[in-house]
Amino acid sequence: MNAPFAGKDGEAAFARLCEELRPDLYRFAFWLARDRSVAEDVVQESLLRAWRSRDGLAGAAAAKPWLLTIVRREHARLYERKRHQTVPLHDLVGSESPELAAAGDQETLDLRRAILALDDDYREPLVLQVLTGLSTQEIAGQLGLTQAAVLSRLFRARHKLRRALGAEADGEDD
Amino acid sequence: MDCLEFRRVAGADPQRLESAAQAHADACPGCAAHLRQLRAMDERIRAALEVPVRASGWIPAGSALPVRGLDRRRWLALAASIVGGVLVGTLLWVAGPRDSLAEDLLQHLGHEPEAAVATRVPEEPAVLGAVLGRGGIRLRPGVGTVSYANSCRFRGHVVPHLVVQTDGGPVTVMVLRHERPAAPVSFGEEGYSGRILPAGPGSIAVIGAAGADIGQVAADVLAAVDWMQ
Repeated sequence: MNAPFAGKDGEAAFARLCEELRPDLYRFAFWLARDRSVAEDVVQESLLRAWRSRDGLAGAAAAKPWLLTIVRREHARLYERKRHQTVPLHDLVGSESPELAAAGDQETLDLRRAILALDDDYREPLVLQVLTGLSTQEIAGQLGLTQAAVLSRLFRARHKLRRALGAEADGEDD
Repeated sequence: MDCLEFRRVAGADPQRLESAAQAHADACPGCAAHLRQLRAMDERIRAALEVPVRASGWIPAGSALPVRGLDRRRWLALAASIVGGVLVGTLLWVAGPRDSLAEDLLQHLGHEPEAAVATRVPEEPAVLGAVLGRGGIRLRPGVGTVSYANSCRFRGHVVPHLVVQTDGGPVTVMVLRHERPAAPVSFGEEGYSGRILPAGPGSIAVIGAAGADIGQVAADVLAAVDWMQ
């Protein structure tokens, strides 16, 4: 099997790739964990794992879903270890939280609160779609769901956000 | 495709419409307007999801392993003080006290050498507020310039780790809600000293190098801390 990230040049290319994708990885981890420190730990561990396994990556095009999978699994592992240390939602929605604060932008702050309040089942596919740009088929692969189930969750996630923000929501009630 | 079906499809994936859905939007002004609203909403969602990201900690190619991220200011501060930081860390390790809590504190500081640097740049208020809030405390004015704030895991709990700038150098303050010594503990050698003082439901640990008035910092912090709950 060809290993595009082997050797010195491959290492440099992989480091650049991780650098490029790291913001998305961190944000995905943050919205999974809802905690900045946990997200940083998750991304740190994930990049270490990815580095050790980089020979198994087929190419740059496959890197994002591959790394997102690693982040998701690492978060699950950490969650199992640190279950008792999860941050209550009310600790995060205070205006002093840098994760939520958007200087001078109450609308964004309200939206972040609404996203945090979504169930994981709705928040995660929404983050994968809107933030990381994965297709619904790719999200289905990540989450081990059918594409129809992903579409349903995405519809409901948007519906809940629109309703939480007071917008007219149509098409389906919870 | 009718309007209801269109709205179900567009509501799930407004950015990637299949051809039948796009054809419906082209022919139905009401659904076209709804689609515009959905796409505008998606832009707002995307902006909301893009929480701030600290600068990368990836070391450029050749050094092989990623490290925890540091922002530009801390990288500069770290670069400026690397020699001093290494010296401090070495001395603290060599001259470390035998008290286990103090040892754990020094070990923790050794993991964040970039924190204890001399700087006049205060920590971002939002970051400081979040760290204090997560630690269940408030800090009234009077402590001085807090140049560093982080929520750190220490002995199984998330605790505030602060650095206060003094004329004699940076002083580390850790607020330990879950550690309650029976009496004040002093430790340190080789010009470096620390104190662990019972406070509120737990304690406050203060550590500084020679020249730093850790007693004054300890007094200031004790007077300024409000314990919530």
